[in-house]
Amino acid sequence: MSALLRVLALWRTRAPLLAAGLLLSLLALACGVALLTLSGRAVAATLTGALVGAGLLVQVLGPARVAARYAERLVTHAATFRALADLRVIFFRGLAGRAAGGLGFRQAGDVLQRLVGDVEALDGLYLRIVLPLAAAILLVPAAGIAAGRISSVAGIAVLLLFAAAAFLLPSVAARAAAGAGRQLAQASAGLRVAALDSLTGLREVRAFGAEARMTALVASRGVELVAAQRMLAGRVAWANAASLLCGQAAVLTVLIVAGASPVASVVACFLLVAAFEPVGALPRAGVAAGSASASAARVLDIAVPDVPPADTRQAAARHQPPLPPGGGLQFDRVSFAWRAGQRPVFDSLTLDLPPGAKAAVLGPSGVGKSTLAALALKIAVPQSGRVLLGGLDMARLPAADIHRHVAWLGQTTHLFDDTIRANLLLGHPGASERELWEALDRAAVGDMVRSLPDRLDSWIGESGARLSGGQGRRIALARTLLQRAPVLILDEPCAGLDAETERAFLTTLFAETSGQTVLLIAHRLTGAERLDRIWRLSSGHAVAAAA
Amino acid sequence: MQDRRKAAAWTARQVRQARRTAIPAIALGLAGIAASIAQAGCIAWVLAAGLSGNPGTTPALVLFAALALVRAAIQLAGEQAAFDAGAQGRQRLRADILARMLAAGPAMLRRAHSSDLAASVVDRVEALDGLFARWVPSAALALLGPALVCACALAVDPAAALILLLAGLLVPVGQAVAGIGAAAASRNQFQAMARLQARFLDRVRGIATIVLAGRAEDEALALSRAADELRARTMRVLRVAFLSSAALDCAMAGALIALVLHDRAALSAGHAPWRALFGLLLVPEFFSPLRAFAAAYQDRSHATGAAEQLADLPDLPATAPTAAIRTVEARGVAIAFEDVRLVWDPARGAALDHLSFFVAPGELLVLAGPSGAGKSSVIELLLGFVRPDEGRILINGHSIADITPQALSRLTAWIGQRPTLFAGTIRDNIAFARPDAAAAEIDEAARQARIDEFTAQLPAGLDTPVGEGGYGLSGGQAQRIAIARAFLKNAPLLLLDEPTAHLDPATESDVLTSLKRLAVGRTVLMATHSAAAHAFGGRRIDLRAGSLAAARGAA
Repeated sequence: MSALLRVLALWRTRAPLLAAGLLLSLLALACGVALLTLSGRAVAATLTGALVGAGLLVQVLGPARVAARYAERLVTHAATFRALADLRVIFFRGLAGRAAGGLGFRQAGDVLQRLVGDVEALDGLYLRIVLPLAAAILLVPAAGIAAGRISSVAGIAVLLLFAAAAFLLPSVAARAAAGAGRQLAQASAGLRVAALDSLTGLREVRAFGAEARMTALVASRGVELVAAQRMLAGRVAWANAASLLCGQAAVLTVLIVAGASPVASVVACFLLVAAFEPVGALPRAGVAAGSASASAARVLDIAVPDVPPADTRQAAARHQPPLPPGGGLQFDRVSFAWRAGQRPVFDSLTLDLPPGAKAAVLGPSGVGKSTLAALALKIAVPQSGRVLLGGLDMARLPAADIHRHVAWLGQTTHLFDDTIRANLLLGHPGASERELWEALDRAAVGDMVRSLPDRLDSWIGESGARLSGGQGRRIALARTLLQRAPVLILDEPCAGLDAETERAFLTTLFAETSGQTVLLIAHRLTGAERLDRIWRLSSGHAVAAAA
Repeated sequence: MQDRRKAAAWTARQVRQARRTAIPAIALGLAGIAASIAQAGCIAWVLAAGLSGNPGTTPALVLFAALALVRAAIQLAGEQAAFDAGAQGRQRLRADILARMLAAGPAMLRRAHSSDLAASVVDRVEALDGLFARWVPSAALALLGPALVCACALAVDPAAALILLLAGLLVPVGQAVAGIGAAAASRNQFQAMARLQARFLDRVRGIATIVLAGRAEDEALALSRAADELRARTMRVLRVAFLSSAALDCAMAGALIALVLHDRAALSAGHAPWRALFGLLLVPEFFSPLRAFAAAYQDRSHATGAAEQLADLPDLPATAPTAAIRTVEARGVAIAFEDVRLVWDPARGAALDHLSFFVAPGELLVLAGPSGAGKSSVIELLLGFVRPDEGRILINGHSIADITPQALSRLTAWIGQRPTLFAGTIRDNIAFARPDAAAAEIDEAARQARIDEFTAQLPAGLDTPVGEGGYGLSGGQAQRIAIARAFLKNAPLLLLDEPTAHLDPATESDVLTSLKRLAVGRTVLMATHSAAAHAFGGRRIDLRAGSLAAARGAA
């Protein structure tokens, strides 16, 4: 729960609007409850022959309630939109700071997708958790006081029963939801893996006639997920039933003592009936809070890092000479492990790439090829040794400067679900129309783009889904060329392409980067590369191979 | 526009199917409303007795308490029933979607990424839960519930019934007047919101690209600008849309005021007090199903988003009853292509153009040619993933169209460019080829494919988990698992589709050696343009743009 409070704390700049929404919501609620209560009182008063004003009050409260509800809806929605937009931007900034720590660089696509799901899970925090809770805080004492006017015992009994329905049962439901969270996550991950396996392996499944087996597997994982959900739903249903019984017991209490003070009893009874509708919904709010708190903890973990990213500010503050144009890349006795205590990926690795050189580092998967790219981009910092850019120690350069000098094109380079123009401008926001076409032509994809009806404004789909694999890679290359960085890191730039397309792509690439320093990281060569030197990585060292 | 209409039709079909499974939830909901109407009667009776100084309310109190227990039980059962309706709907839909995808086969992967397809099977189906579990029952109860309340009111106080009826009719009329265009606008708005969400997800997925291009702050600002713009537009729409919710509030307040006025006049004329109190207590009962329905509208909007993706899936093909091929395993398999023409995409022309060739039993045929020449198309035709547009393909003299997919799958083993490793152990992955294989047979297949050479170094040997979340195998090691699968399956026809395209030269020659052993005694078709693979031996034909370029004799 503390995580939810910390999310609320992130929203302090929106506090006035959120508070206004809260007050309006309580006002609308009070009007609604009073409307029914006073209607009952008006009828009772007619019978006892007293009080004419109550009927008049009802006629005022009716329109007041309609107006208050309308204002409440507008203000709470406006407040929640602003707060959620803030949360997304805070999360994005936090993640951007983290991306330099490896997340998002090492093919963590579904981890990121899950995190976005967590951000979405917080959508209901204000409307479905905070507001109902505030309503309960208003209604529970009101119910106690109304019943207390008949007899103090009845008042205390009603207060306790309503408090149980409003606070105790929702917190039980919240705990049940938080406890079921892990099981649910496990079951849904199991289903996802089975679905992904069946569909990624569609060829295998068809070739081996395994359709029935895979269908059965997905169905059984679906049953497991439903079973986990059913358990949670069952607990929530019990909490709801218990809450209903509390409300009913409260009404029964008032009915039993009704003879003592008939008019007060009518008032109390109508108030309990009206107030129970929002109070009875609270166990559901508890469930929402239970599952949202786990999401909130994960989101906060990203959005508000415990330690600020060590890098930029401090490094920038220090005096450093400007980076020379051009620039080679050197690894000087670099040792690195992703986590302390883990087997080091590199052990005193030394590589020297003079300005303008073209080199390749080869090795099977798992020897740390992508780690090499991370070090060259200062996404990771070596535990010992130095990485030098243009002869300067990267430890003393701000990451932003490094990213201006070192461009990266890898298998996880992302194409955005946007126009070709927007994708290219990411590389160089100020680029002119002519520069964009020049880059596309250099990447040998200009003619393809010219043939599209909307040309530069063609939408390329999710991860470039409307393009072929080779075309998408060429658009990414054009973007990289626009960056005009003197050093280019290529991390398996052809993964997933067929052999022919791969060769054609590499031919273009090496022809168009003649002035740049290029480091190609791959598990093998195709023969289309034009290289000055080749290293082979094995057990943390680089071994020179023939060029 | 057409997509939306298609999605709407699809959703309507789902709702029709869901109605039957929702019957228990609807019936229990109605029973719950009936019980609370009876309770309202008890409350009115006891309170009226108090007001007129009448003792003897005990039976009503006992009835109230009993009804409370009944209501709690009904509510409990109702929630379970709603859950079951949702679960059944989701499971039915999931099975249907997966069956369509499997039937459409690998052609699906040409149009969509597998993770997007998996999202359809998992997330989009889960997103429809609210439609099945809440929207369908609440839509029915929004009509039946108020009708029941009205009927009970009629029995007690016809005037009160008339007031409720008029107020009830005011709801749709008010919503129509206030909401002309608001519904359509809010639907558009929901889509705009979904698009913003998609944009956010897309930017998060590409966060590394953004950071490395030094554009994180610009993107954060753009994201916040886009959200602001959307909010401003959304609020303009909501200002109108909320008027229709206000219609509901108006109707309820109006009903209460009218009832109070009516009751005060009626009571003065000697109307029974409990009838007046009962009429008032029915007002919240009358409007509560309508409110639940309004709340469930969100579930409906949620479903619409998912429906647009799901409605687009191909239909299940009509199952053509085909004659199983007579057993051929004793003699091996002969293949003939006769004038085969295949078009994937009319805009790109034919992938195969009147192609004819013959492969004798036990023969090894290398299909050569540049990428796009149609090599993979030949393999996919033989696997039954696609049907030729013209011409015939014969297996041992039987047209492939007459062979059931199961029989065809028994005949063939296939190895592609990159095998899929499933979540499980290496042993499970080999056994995928034949789940009923004995452990010794799997060991033997692993030995034949030289898998034991690298599993010996793994902590758990053949029982090391691979695939999602498991140990990462290199391309060559994964290809060996594919070879082991083929050994285990021991099918007479072996189809190899560029099996070494992604391997380095040393690994390639190792894999080719294993493949050579696997090829013994089988009919083999290998599509490749690797020079090393051409040294594999056998007859070679060259494809150019879907036709035969040149044939050469045995190398």
